[in-house]
Amino acid sequence: MLNPHDIIKNVRNEGSAVVLELAGEIDMQCSTELRGEIMAILQEKPSALVVNMSQVTFMDSSGLATLVEALQWSRRNGGTFRLSGLQENVRNVFEISRLESFFEIYDSEAEAMAQ
Amino acid sequence: MSVCESVENSSENPSFARRWLAIVGRCSIGVTRSFLGKIGSVFLLLAEATQIAFKGFFLPGHKLGKEALFFQMVRVGIKAIPIVILIQMAIGMILPLQMYPKLAEFGQADQIATINAIAGFRELGPLMTAIILSGFAGASIAAELGTMVTSEEIEALEASALNPVRFLVVPRLLATVLMTVMLTVIADVVMVFSGVLTGMKLGLDPDTYYQMSVSAVNLTGFVTGLVKAAVYGTLIGLIACHLGLSVKPWQGSEGVGQATTNTVVYSIVAIVISAAIFTMIFYSYGLFN
Amino acid sequence: MTEKTDPSPILIISELVKSFSNQRVLDGINLEVYPGEIMVIMGGSGCGKSTLLRHIIGSIAPDSGSIKLFGQEMTTLDDKALNAIRKRFGILFQSGALFNSLTIGDNIALILKEHTNLDATTIEIMVKIKLELVNLREHADKMPAMISGGMKKRAGLARAIALDPKILFYDEPSAGLDPVTSAQIDQLIIDLTKKLHVTSVVVTHEMDSAFTIADRMCMLDKGKVLKVGTRQEFEWLRDSDPADCPSEQDRLIRQFLRGDAEGPITERKLTSDYEEDLLMASLKHEK
Repeated sequence: MLNPHDIIKNVRNEGSAVVLELAGEIDMQCSTELRGEIMAILQEKPSALVVNMSQVTFMDSSGLATLVEALQWSRRNGGTFRLSGLQENVRNVFEISRLESFFEIYDSEAEAMAQ
Repeated sequence: MSVCESVENSSENPSFARRWLAIVGRCSIGVTRSFLGKIGSVFLLLAEATQIAFKGFFLPGHKLGKEALFFQMVRVGIKAIPIVILIQMAIGMILPLQMYPKLAEFGQADQIATINAIAGFRELGPLMTAIILSGFAGASIAAELGTMVTSEEIEALEASALNPVRFLVVPRLLATVLMTVMLTVIADVVMVFSGVLTGMKLGLDPDTYYQMSVSAVNLTGFVTGLVKAAVYGTLIGLIACHLGLSVKPWQGSEGVGQATTNTVVYSIVAIVISAAIFTMIFYSYGLFN
Repeated sequence: MTEKTDPSPILIISELVKSFSNQRVLDGINLEVYPGEIMVIMGGSGCGKSTLLRHIIGSIAPDSGSIKLFGQEMTTLDDKALNAIRKRFGILFQSGALFNSLTIGDNIALILKEHTNLDATTIEIMVKIKLELVNLREHADKMPAMISGGMKKRAGLARAIALDPKILFYDEPSAGLDPVTSAQIDQLIIDLTKKLHVTSVVVTHEMDSAFTIADRMCMLDKGKVLKVGTRQEFEWLRDSDPADCPSEQDRLIRQFLRGDAEGPITERKLTSDYEEDLLMASLKHEK
């Protein structure tokens, strides 16, 4: 990894949906970057945005807040917003903040795409 | 010697007077040392606050709370306006009434206008405003900051890596300086106005009075008055912030009360002493003509 | 059970000494805290536990000794380096210590605004998330003066976790709270530690709370560490028969843990020169 804050690994189109692959640690330094990326993706109004988080090893509350914002933007666009492949400690962040049921969370990217 | 003897005789303890002398001596050394120390730390506070304010104004990325400044200005100054007007009305009346009999004796009754205007703009405007504000602004700032110490707020700011000087001292200090200057302008105008009214009662022509007042006050007089006001405001703000933040957490409400009282007393002493110094300096540089 | 995969302590205190006007408040404290554990520091009033906490957060400088937090020596840092470390820990003060001129929400937002470059919307959402953790979301717009002591404490906790610190310090978190709120705070301390792997150092004299949350415990007395051990060790000591406690020290800790009225702590106070003091008083007036 060249840049430790480079959390955006890949963005690809799957039909009318977009898959955003993240990796590494999402903290207060890089949440702003993530926010900008998601905003750019949602500008194109995809039918669904799936965030693959299977390689995210850590996420703090700023990352969580950014995802809440992304969910809100998606809803406004009439699209869906899904998360997939959360590692246990990332899932714990959702759990402790009582936001698990707030998001559509799937075990794998394939499952999320199948919906 | 005789005093000493009588004191010694009056006490059963032979070393009574000497002991008291020693205590008085030790106290005065202690007081002098702590006084010098206080002055030192007040100036350190001024240096830090100036640096932060400077950075806030001129360097990008250094935020200076504009709302906080405005809030403090309202708190510091607005409530004091009626009192400033009241006091300056009274002084603008007292001075001419005291002067009139003597001046009229020499046929110089018109000079009341000149004296009133000069005294007001150069000395009494800034001085009275500052004394009023040391009670209004100084006391409330010291009480507020002292309470913040006892409620662990200052410690919480520091533990959150937020500088209390930047967050608390700078807006309060700036607000006190700005409001002292602004209220001084009000005080100046009110005093001349009150003088006109008094002059009318004494049978002087209001137009002449007004003309003489205006010609008595030149730009130098007006500006030096405002410079004084700014310095007085700085003194009030610094003393209040320093004493407020010097309250120790365990001193509780007693410490806060002490800080508040001391702020008013020290501010007034500092203001009057610096007024004397100003007058000496301006006099020797011929700024009085 | 506690994960102790990371063997190096996050906080190391060694030989810490501090005196206030000739009275030794801390007398050679040694303590290590490991990542992800809850360390409870106990002791009677005036035993130096709050002073110890103030040393750890850099509010007070010690006379001698060392404090290493995140591997950095706290006692010799300049202001800038100290502030960098202060952003990495959170502290809950006894009174909550909210900034009284700001609303509850702004108390938390201020720290995020000052120390991060996050967008205003992100900060607003984060504030709501933090307040929801302590059940205060609907009180975000209230001023601190308008809420109860327990709520202030919870708001203080929300502020302490604003920057998602790796280590949290609590000064008497459950003192003066009703039992339900107290239990909620205890649960939150446990959740933060177990789920987010936050290290917690809790100063308290509430034994119920201490035994609920602690992984390890430390007993302070007269500025010295009497005993450091796991919760189980302390539980054993508490429930043991006095006859099983051979040492004076163990009996003293036992009395404190059980909150007994009689024991070595009380005896210590009784043996002071009470009688002599009374006799001296009558002598003075005879003169």
